[in-house]
Amino acid sequence: MLGLGDIVVLVKASLNPEIVRQNPDGTFDIDYTPLKISDIDRNALEEAARLKQVFGGKVYSITVLTWGPLKAREKDLRLVVQEALAKVADEAFVVADESIIPGDYSVTANVIASVIREKGLKPTLVLAGEASIDESTYQIPGRVAAKLGLPYVGYVRKIREVRGDRIVVERDLEDYVEVLEVPLPAVLSVTQEINEPRPPTLIQIRMASRKPVHMLTLRDLRLDAMRRRSIVEMKVVTVSRKQILIDEANVEKAALKLVEYLEKEGVLRV
Amino acid sequence: MDNVIVVSQKPSDAGELVGLARTMGNPVIVAFQDSAEMVEELLGYGHRVYRVKSGRPEVLAKAVSTLYEEFKPKIILGPSTKNVKDAMSLVAGLYDIHMAPDVVEVRSEADGVVYKRGFMSERVTMNVKAPYPAVILVYPKIAEPAPKGGFGELVELNVDDTRVKVLEVKPKELSGINLEAAEVVVGVGRGFKAKEDLNMAFELAKLLGGQVGGTRPIAADLKWLPEDAWIGISGKRIAPKLYIAIGVSGAPQHMSGVTGSKVIVAVNKDKAAPIFKQSDYGVVADLYKFIPTLIEILRRKR
Repeated sequence: MLGLGDIVVLVKASLNPEIVRQNPDGTFDIDYTPLKISDIDRNALEEAARLKQVFGGKVYSITVLTWGPLKAREKDLRLVVQEALAKVADEAFVVADESIIPGDYSVTANVIASVIREKGLKPTLVLAGEASIDESTYQIPGRVAAKLGLPYVGYVRKIREVRGDRIVVERDLEDYVEVLEVPLPAVLSVTQEINEPRPPTLIQIRMASRKPVHMLTLRDLRLDAMRRRSIVEMKVVTVSRKQILIDEANVEKAALKLVEYLEKEGVLRV
Repeated sequence: MDNVIVVSQKPSDAGELVGLARTMGNPVIVAFQDSAEMVEELLGYGHRVYRVKSGRPEVLAKAVSTLYEEFKPKIILGPSTKNVKDAMSLVAGLYDIHMAPDVVEVRSEADGVVYKRGFMSERVTMNVKAPYPAVILVYPKIAEPAPKGGFGELVELNVDDTRVKVLEVKPKELSGINLEAAEVVVGVGRGFKAKEDLNMAFELAKLLGGQVGGTRPIAADLKWLPEDAWIGISGKRIAPKLYIAIGVSGAPQHMSGVTGSKVIVAVNKDKAAPIFKQSDYGVVADLYKFIPTLIEILRRKR
């Protein structure tokens, strides 16, 4: 079996966009909006599992907590880390530190790069989802590559093959797809088209509880506090849809009703 | 005056970017990809233009880094495209500076840049103040295009990064339809069981003078529709008078692309589908029975 080496997967505990909690004044209530694994990171984990099956090697997951309050996030964070371990990771590194909450892109990338350096990880591949499902800024993988001095390819929708110390991937852009040969080690961000993530099996979930989880703070990484952005305001976008439900057993009746409504709205021009 | 680096990827994006840059400082233009090919167009704004003769994001990153060190800009402006996002994430990482893509409003203040962007699949808007220097990548149509005038100087940038090799470039099969401009859009989701069944949606769209788009699974995974018919957070954002979502559950990643619609209709057999809470009119019905009936009724009205 040809070796590929170790893989690091970046796994985010994202705010769940399907459960947006709101304060009475219309601002976004971050503290009560739950965290979940960022969906596209599931694709990164699945791809790591696929590669590990073929090439062996160790897989490490890195998670940096970016949303507080720290105490209230313990359970959600644990579930995210458990999924990474159950799915593929041999060890998990988790950075939870009050001083980097709420997260800042530059700080997060520095923390991830420090975990890799300080913990002596020597990944051949760093994999991550193309973006997180909460902030969707598409920048952490590229920043980490810049910090580590590694080549970076974003929007990978297929890993075609590993050719010795190079990997051949398809990169998905707006109007075309590039087939690229990338020297290893490298950082890749993947899209949701790359695979169909399978949920971990019961045995995998049981095994996960025996795997090491390393909880870290900035001090463990010998990092100082860094300059950050300030979030001035977050407002929930109010959807003022009419929400009129047509629930008729007779489809003909339902269709007539809908047509009548749409005619009143003035949006039908048959 | 402070410098603002403007990355232009297409000559058509340059007007707005230069216009925005002029409100903040002195524009220095970097021409990348299509803009590098049609550089005369960019020189017409009267600013110096640096040409990058490569379509690779890592080369653009090196070019912008070189200029960053020379001009010490307070802002790097660009379009929110995949290549520019990738390139600027490398620059932002290299210098540890702030970066925000998909920005819809931006202004420069004395002690930092203030911008607005969507968050949580566009269900929340976030206003942020970030210290200078910062990378701001914007959506189209958020600023007035700059008037042309003068003739800038062209400078060829000789930078390269040969680590990643391009083996092949495959153009995508696109439909060429302009969903953003359509007055009526019929959206299809996983409620459809087979590709042929989409004919119903096409027939309905034709009757209503509209176009057909779809969710990510339909357009990007199953490829039942061309990719430019994909509506949602990584696809198209549409604003028709009427959007009819058929067999669409209402995931935020899809709904964020249709919030600009005047009237939203949902057809779904699951009464608990989240889409009903985000629609004006919801029809609880099996689409395989309902859509043919609706088509029949609309035909009779002709």
